[in-house]
Amino acid sequence: MAPDPKENGSGVDRMDHDKQPAPNKSAQKDGKKKKDEKKEEDLSEEDAALKEQLELYVERVNDQNPGVQKMALESMRQEIRTATSSMTSVPKPLKFLRPHYRTLKGYYETMQIDELKMLLADIISVLALTMSEENERESLHYRLLGTVGDIGSWGHEYVRNLAGEIGVEFQQRQNEKPVDDLMDLVKQIVPFHVKHNAEPEAVDLLMEVESLELLIGYIDKGNYKRTCSYLTSFSSYMPEPDDILVLDVAYQIYRKFGKYPDAMRVALRMDNIQYVKSTFKDCTDFLEKQQLCYILARQGVSLDLDDASLASEDQKEALQEIISNSRLSEGYLTLARDLDVMEPKVPEDIYKAHLVDGRASAGASVDSARQNLAATFVNALVNAGFGQDKLMTATNLESSAGSSASNWLFKNKEHGKASAAASLGLIVLWDVDGGLPQVDKYFYSNDNHVIAGALLAVGIVNCGVRNECDPAYALLYESVNKEDSTIRIGAIMGLGLAYAGSQKEEVLELLTPIVTDSKVSVDVAGFAAVSLGLIYVGSCNEEVAQSILHALMERSENELGEPMARFLCHGLGLLYLGKQDDVDATMEVAKTLNPKISQYLQVTLDACAYAGTGNVLKVQRLLGLCADHLDKGESHQAPAVVGIALVAMAEELGLEMAIRSLEHLLQYGEQNIRRAVPLALGILSVSNPRIAVMDTLSRLSHDSDAEVAMAATMSLGLIGAGTNNARIAGMLRNLSSYYYKDPSLLFCVRIAQGLVHMGKGLLTLNPYHSDRFLLSNVALAGVVTFLVGCLDMKSIILGKYHYVLYYLVLAMQPRMLITVDQDLKPLSVPVRVGQAVDVVGQAGRPKTITGFQTHTTPVLLATGDRAELATEKYIPLSSVLEGFVILKPNPDYQHDHLSS
Amino acid sequence: MGQGQSGGLPRPGPPGDKKAEEKKEKKYEPAAPPTRVGRKQRKQKGPEAAARLPVVTPATKCKLRLLKLERVKDYLLMEEEFVTNQERLKPQEDKNEEDRSKVDDLRGSPMSVGTLEEIIDENHAIVSSSVGPEYYVNILSFVDKDQLEPGCAILMHNKVLSVVGILQDEVDPMVSVMKVEKAPLESYADIGGLDPQIQEIKEAVELPLTHPELYEDIGIKPPKGVILYGEPGTGKTLLAKAVANSTSATFLRVVGSELIQKYLGDGPKLVRELFRVADELSPSIVFIDEIDAVGTKRYDAHSGGEREIQRTMLELLNQLDGFDARGDVKVILATNRIESLDPALLRPGRIDRKIEFPLPDIKTRRRIFQIHTSRMTLADDVNLEEFVMTKDEFSGADIKAICTEAGLLALRERRMKVTQVDFKKAKEKVMYKKKEGVPEGLYM
Repeated sequence: MAPDPKENGSGVDRMDHDKQPAPNKSAQKDGKKKKDEKKEEDLSEEDAALKEQLELYVERVNDQNPGVQKMALESMRQEIRTATSSMTSVPKPLKFLRPHYRTLKGYYETMQIDELKMLLADIISVLALTMSEENERESLHYRLLGTVGDIGSWGHEYVRNLAGEIGVEFQQRQNEKPVDDLMDLVKQIVPFHVKHNAEPEAVDLLMEVESLELLIGYIDKGNYKRTCSYLTSFSSYMPEPDDILVLDVAYQIYRKFGKYPDAMRVALRMDNIQYVKSTFKDCTDFLEKQQLCYILARQGVSLDLDDASLASEDQKEALQEIISNSRLSEGYLTLARDLDVMEPKVPEDIYKAHLVDGRASAGASVDSARQNLAATFVNALVNAGFGQDKLMTATNLESSAGSSASNWLFKNKEHGKASAAASLGLIVLWDVDGGLPQVDKYFYSNDNHVIAGALLAVGIVNCGVRNECDPAYALLYESVNKEDSTIRIGAIMGLGLAYAGSQKEEVLELLTPIVTDSKVSVDVAGFAAVSLGLIYVGSCNEEVAQSILHALMERSENELGEPMARFLCHGLGLLYLGKQDDVDATMEVAKTLNPKISQYLQVTLDACAYAGTGNVLKVQRLLGLCADHLDKGESHQAPAVVGIALVAMAEELGLEMAIRSLEHLLQYGEQNIRRAVPLALGILSVSNPRIAVMDTLSRLSHDSDAEVAMAATMSLGLIGAGTNNARIAGMLRNLSSYYYKDPSLLFCVRIAQGLVHMGKGLLTLNPYHSDRFLLSNVALAGVVTFLVGCLDMKSIILGKYHYVLYYLVLAMQPRMLITVDQDLKPLSVPVRVGQAVDVVGQAGRPKTITGFQTHTTPVLLATGDRAELATEKYIPLSSVLEGFVILKPNPDYQHDHLSS
Repeated sequence: MGQGQSGGLPRPGPPGDKKAEEKKEKKYEPAAPPTRVGRKQRKQKGPEAAARLPVVTPATKCKLRLLKLERVKDYLLMEEEFVTNQERLKPQEDKNEEDRSKVDDLRGSPMSVGTLEEIIDENHAIVSSSVGPEYYVNILSFVDKDQLEPGCAILMHNKVLSVVGILQDEVDPMVSVMKVEKAPLESYADIGGLDPQIQEIKEAVELPLTHPELYEDIGIKPPKGVILYGEPGTGKTLLAKAVANSTSATFLRVVGSELIQKYLGDGPKLVRELFRVADELSPSIVFIDEIDAVGTKRYDAHSGGEREIQRTMLELLNQLDGFDARGDVKVILATNRIESLDPALLRPGRIDRKIEFPLPDIKTRRRIFQIHTSRMTLADDVNLEEFVMTKDEFSGADIKAICTEAGLLALRERRMKVTQVDFKKAKEKVMYKKKEGVPEGLYM
């Protein structure tokens, strides 16, 4: 009469108070069961009745009469199915049947009639949900013995548990036993999940049993979007071959539902040109085809339109125009006009010297040539693509003809003039027809630097735009083999910029001899290698690889020590950008090279080949390299640091974690690592001014080591590139007064200011686009090349190769959304723009953006922003609203009279 | 402009960062400006914001989440590997030690405590100590300027009064005592009956903290809080204790009357503090017992005291569902006079679930009797059924009182066992007291 208080007091229901809805089959269960039995007297009448009833059924199951047995089983099944459970406890029938679990199992063994046996197996399987020990998987075992039928009727929890057990069982059976019975079950479970809004679980299960392709059959119109978004975000976290598999399934599903733009996006992500072609070919709607062309143009993929089934020549021409990006400049200017920023700006508008403390303006006289060079760059960056400015092109507008432009050009000294002339190219960016005549006049200059700059300008104008006349090649090819190395570099760089990603063979033939010729100076060869790398970016072209390797072998140790020798390595790295394993053969060769460069080359190759893959093992390897404390003279750690950033930038999570890791590098690293860390931070959040990164960089920009400070300053520019971010602008203004005596740092500050206000805030450098789903190889290559230049700030950016800065042009894209109608004329519609929310795998139809504002197109999209149409009147042809989007009228749209 | 003014200090600044640096390096480099000179301290939850891990979405249990979490883990392992390697190669401790002693030298000792009145520029501020006038002083470079805000407590150099440190804004001691450090002994097993109540409180309070993904799966926001109400002695506080016993979340308990303070504005401030602490220590559960002390209906109050109480309640309303979103803070209120509470307090969104605690029925009564008598030595003749089946209205507390009383009666007669007679007497006594002096059975 004196039982243990705890035992006695605890009600039956609360036996499970530590138990979550997901049944945990802990070992304590048995102990609890005993308690359960003791307290029969505590049950309420209904419970007691139920219990009695169930016990009766259990008795009857062992009855002699099959009819009675069947009755009992049917009623037991009825009880279990109709039981409603609360979240915190196990359904009552299950609880009362628990003590009889073993009994029932015993009965099962002795039972004779198959039909009944199966029924009983069903019930035991359900009971096993709460009863069986871990790793026994009795639930599954009895399920397989039970009736083949509607498993869903036993409840969601049961199915979920079963799915888990199948996964484990499948792993164990692998290669030993056939899995057909499991697959049959899977084929029942997956439709159940799909039907009940649990697509992620269906995908998970199919992944476990390695037959994801089955999914395609089960997805219907209502849920393909959710499924595909789950699959695509899944792929970023899968190890290498599997991710393609997952994307493949997503691609098939999109194709199945005729969502060509989405399918195209996935195909581009997979980098599968076959799929790209077939998607394009199979898309019958001309409008949609145009949309596909916009997507391809943004990614920088050139597609041969001849084999695409087209109705007429007109259509082909229209598509060709879109895919060659010829309308980019037009669209950009539309945006600019709409936002009213056409007025050209001068560098002083950017510096905002009046907001800075007095002392800065006093020190302006220091090294005015460098200041002018900085002003040239700032002017070019700020007015990029607008076609007019106040320093270079002002002559065209003002009556004081001729004087001002050439005046400004000749305010720069020597190699500065090259950059100045090239800046004209940046100002008329993308506008081939209008821009080239303006550049033309510099070809007749007798100053080699000016000519070099003009050649470079031609390349810049044609960057990312293809013209049917192909003017870049025609203008540049002659100058490649001129005597003067400045002119040669100008022409080579120009070719690289103009044909980046195009794999143009003529250029290959033109540049290969330069790379291999050991008489050519290292800098020319370096630029040639980078140009080849850009043109064949991510193509693993054997010929280019051979010639660069050849050059690296031929060159003497002294030459390899030059700063520009890095560009040779980097050119080779670009060939393998994002190609992962394909780099292995070249890597082996790299190991045999001169030790001076071998290590550096290996790291560069590794970093480039795994760029944008998120491969954790590579990050680990690169981080390991940074852990050593080396003697002076070894230079491979800096690219390793940048490499960490390149590899980790693939997905948000890795990106944030990499930022954390870089903190440690700062803390422990030697000077050469510390110098690279700001740059790595810069590329991790390029054009994405995160507060945390900004603060770190701001701290580093006051570092006692000048090179760290310079790199941090540049990176401040990079993370704010094209955002007009007021906070960064303020920081840079403060830096400009802080470093007013130091011309080199001031130069960096100016460039950074130019970057922040790049294109008056309409451009972005982010190589990721389409909702951060696609990575543009060319853009990434551009940013990385610039960073390689920054790794040796003193001899490259601050030396005479400052035009390396123009490699950023490759990454420049307007961060806009322009909606066009069916005739591709701009169409103003209201759109909501707000912070993107990750809605993958969430229930219901959650909002995809938060904190939105409604604007009318064209609009600017910041990094991490997403847009959605605020009107029902039109249907966008692309699900991701970025860049150019074609709208077609919604046939179901009904004008709402209430809202005018 | 800061440089120009420093000459006009009442006392010259300490050698500080400026001179020390100048000696080391020829070029003077002022310290990096703070990223922000602001009014308010930036709100940082838990440990330093930078050290926080990224949020992993979706919250549903699925493979994507697993993969994402694994990715985070991989990176953390790499960090660990890197840091341990580095520590092995080049221990930082000595260096840190050195730096620390340097900082300590600069700080001097003893330090005086003062208040920051105003931040003038990057490295100057006006401070005051408890006694004397206000001073215009330097802020040393190693002081974290992001943490400075006007009105915060600072450490000052004992001679030159420059700011050498910040006293972290400590939690109001009033609030810190509310935190339940030692879990109460009562567990769910000590509650007789109340099964539906327990289930409801679990769904509303515990599950959202342990399994938020369940709510996300369905697509609802979990309830923010519950109110427990019912006759005195029906186990409201007991249940709250059991919740505190079973949860690993921070448990803050307050009695409504504690929120009434002597000075104007102190009560609301305490409420604010309470919820701030709860937010900082989240996930947490705030339990306010006897909420009717502050939560009564508003009416035209004439005395300042009443108005103050009402203001305290208004603050409470705001904290429960105001402008700032509360994260993982769940609120449990308890009262035995729900009808007198302000309706604004009980509206859904503030208190989503109202859980009634009825007087125990026969089954529950039996269980409560069992709980209380289980540790007592009872004579063989004791038949508890008689008390269980009685028609009198017992609350749980009454039953406990009967048991205690019976035990005392036995003690009085120096018996080692409690007999049926003891129970009978005890019951009469308890019921007599409960019915305000009317002996039981008088009118029956």
